[in-house]
Amino acid sequence: MSALAFVTSFSRALRARGLNATPATTIEAARALGAVDIGDRADVYFALRSLFVARYQELALFDEVFDEWWGDEGHAAREAVGREPKKKRTANPAVIAPWEEPRAGTTSTYLTRWAASLAEVTDDATVPIAAPSTRDATGVKDFRHYDDADLRGLEDAAARIVERLRARRSRRWRIARRGPRLDARRIVRLALATGGDPIRLARRERKLRRTKLVVVCDVSGSMDLYSRFLLQVLYALQHAFARVETFAFSTRLVRITDALAGGTYRDALDSLAHVERGGWSGGTKIGECLESLRMGWPRLLDRRTAVIVLSDGWDTGDPDILASALREMRRRAGRIIWLNPLLGNPAYQPLTRGMQAALPHIDVFAPAHDLASLERLAVHLSF
Amino acid sequence: MKEAIERLQEAMADKGYVTDRATATSAYLAITLRKPLLIEGPPGVGKTEVAKVLSRVLETELIRLQCYEGLDVATSLYEWNYPKQLLHIKLGETSGQSIAHREAEIFSEAFLLERPLLRAIRATRQVVLLIDEVDRSDEEFEAFLLEVLSEHQVTIPEIGTVRAAVEPCVVLTSNRTRDLSEALRRRCLYLWIDYPTLEKELAIVRTKVPGIEAHLAEQLAGFIQGVRRQRLVKTPGVAETLDWAHALVALQAQSVDGAVVTETLGCFLKDQSDVRQVQSEIETRGVSALVATGRSRG
Repeated sequence: MSALAFVTSFSRALRARGLNATPATTIEAARALGAVDIGDRADVYFALRSLFVARYQELALFDEVFDEWWGDEGHAAREAVGREPKKKRTANPAVIAPWEEPRAGTTSTYLTRWAASLAEVTDDATVPIAAPSTRDATGVKDFRHYDDADLRGLEDAAARIVERLRARRSRRWRIARRGPRLDARRIVRLALATGGDPIRLARRERKLRRTKLVVVCDVSGSMDLYSRFLLQVLYALQHAFARVETFAFSTRLVRITDALAGGTYRDALDSLAHVERGGWSGGTKIGECLESLRMGWPRLLDRRTAVIVLSDGWDTGDPDILASALREMRRRAGRIIWLNPLLGNPAYQPLTRGMQAALPHIDVFAPAHDLASLERLAVHLSF
Repeated sequence: MKEAIERLQEAMADKGYVTDRATATSAYLAITLRKPLLIEGPPGVGKTEVAKVLSRVLETELIRLQCYEGLDVATSLYEWNYPKQLLHIKLGETSGQSIAHREAEIFSEAFLLERPLLRAIRATRQVVLLIDEVDRSDEEFEAFLLEVLSEHQVTIPEIGTVRAAVEPCVVLTSNRTRDLSEALRRRCLYLWIDYPTLEKELAIVRTKVPGIEAHLAEQLAGFIQGVRRQRLVKTPGVAETLDWAHALVALQAQSVDGAVVTETLGCFLKDQSDVRQVQSEIETRGVSALVATGRSRG
């Protein structure tokens, strides 16, 4: 078999396992094999690895496929240089900075920022979450008791949130007549007309930063009371702002951006009914769902993206997966905001395993049980 | 093993950089295939060193572009020398030439300030271009960089397109503070450099700190390996190992014992909570236990 034919079928095997082995890479891999000693497996291994692997996470997968193709000798090549094969990523959990450690007091530090907003709360700390009254202790109507007439308010809140997302300055510049800084290049040009004296000044200002929003909404059973109204929020957001991607999850993740984007709210509900076949409720695997968001839409998250997780943190999945998924997401995204409707109840403590695992990895932990809390969210979208 | 790769690895060792076959093969391919080399790994494992030693091996200039958020064309590619331009306009005021002519004059080569990217592209012989910590720049710059890397040319509106006479050997490093675009990754060869193995670290210490006694070097490397297995805020890199080795030699330490370690912890631990953690580890388990864990495999 020629080197090219050989590499072609190898790259097909890689592709089948999910590595992005493009034809261009394959051709270059064939060239690379021409440049090294094909008889030496270590040479072949390192050459192919540097071409087909594009990120750390792909190393283990590449090793697996390589071992299958070249048998144990590929393995031997790696041992020769002392690299442990197929090191499990979970074996060496990333370091958690001490200030992120979920100490006893930490949850309350997250909450103190919100304490001010809950100042009117009565001393009765035992208000049950499913209180029968339509007004909660803060005197604000809880989402649980929303009706269609309240939709208008929601839309206004969404508009205000979107306004926040628009008004961000980037570090880049653009020409502006009344900008705060001078634009040296244009001043020199203007000075040409005035004999080298910079009389007319040109100015510039920071460009606007285009922030994106990724919203991940928990629609499991424990969120039933809220999810319908949260979906209305999502709908309002989706319609007020183009750069929103919306996902819903319970035990698995579904992208609902398109479903929300179409027509009226009723239309959106209809298409949502078609999107979802596994049922909205029944168990929650937050970690797995966030992980599949990260893996399935890898280009979605960047530093201009705010990720909003709407969930009560009742997780039936593995909290370690939740922690590692959030940690990875936080590294890529600009900000992770966790909105927990239960936080609206002053008696609530985020003690569930899922919430405990998540807290060290989120930037903002805030309630989302009423309109006021959603409006306060806008503050946190400036980053 | 291909002889050329072996020779490169030896040449890198000659210039004081102890490396493994993975790094040598990737560097060799970067030179032969004329592809940029993207190096990722934890901080302090010598990613930047690869570019430096390559420039020494190739006996050529190293041009370094340090990335940061907000890095733009004016600081990475070129800028005009504004004071010189203004002065020139003043001097030529009475020459009677048209404005268009004078404008062309001041926006010409003579008034151009080269920044690293332009310098690398205009170099008359092959240089090593190091684009350091590319993950700290923003997406716009990354897109611009991709264009430069794939076309080996840049456009300056006032002057025109500048093409590289000799394609530079490009090394990019990233600490993974954000994910780089797939397009940029596809353009590059990829190399992951991990913390060195005990043997490699020992070799690095011996090369970089020639005065160190064999016994001390072994203990020190073993201790550092043991420390890396702890969950720390800032895991020490190779640079820290070397700082510590230099310190121990300067203090004329005979062996790595509790007192010596406590005095010099600051050489390789840069966070107060790490210092506390390792200190309590030494008190409860002792220095030798840490060295032993560091030496054991797995």
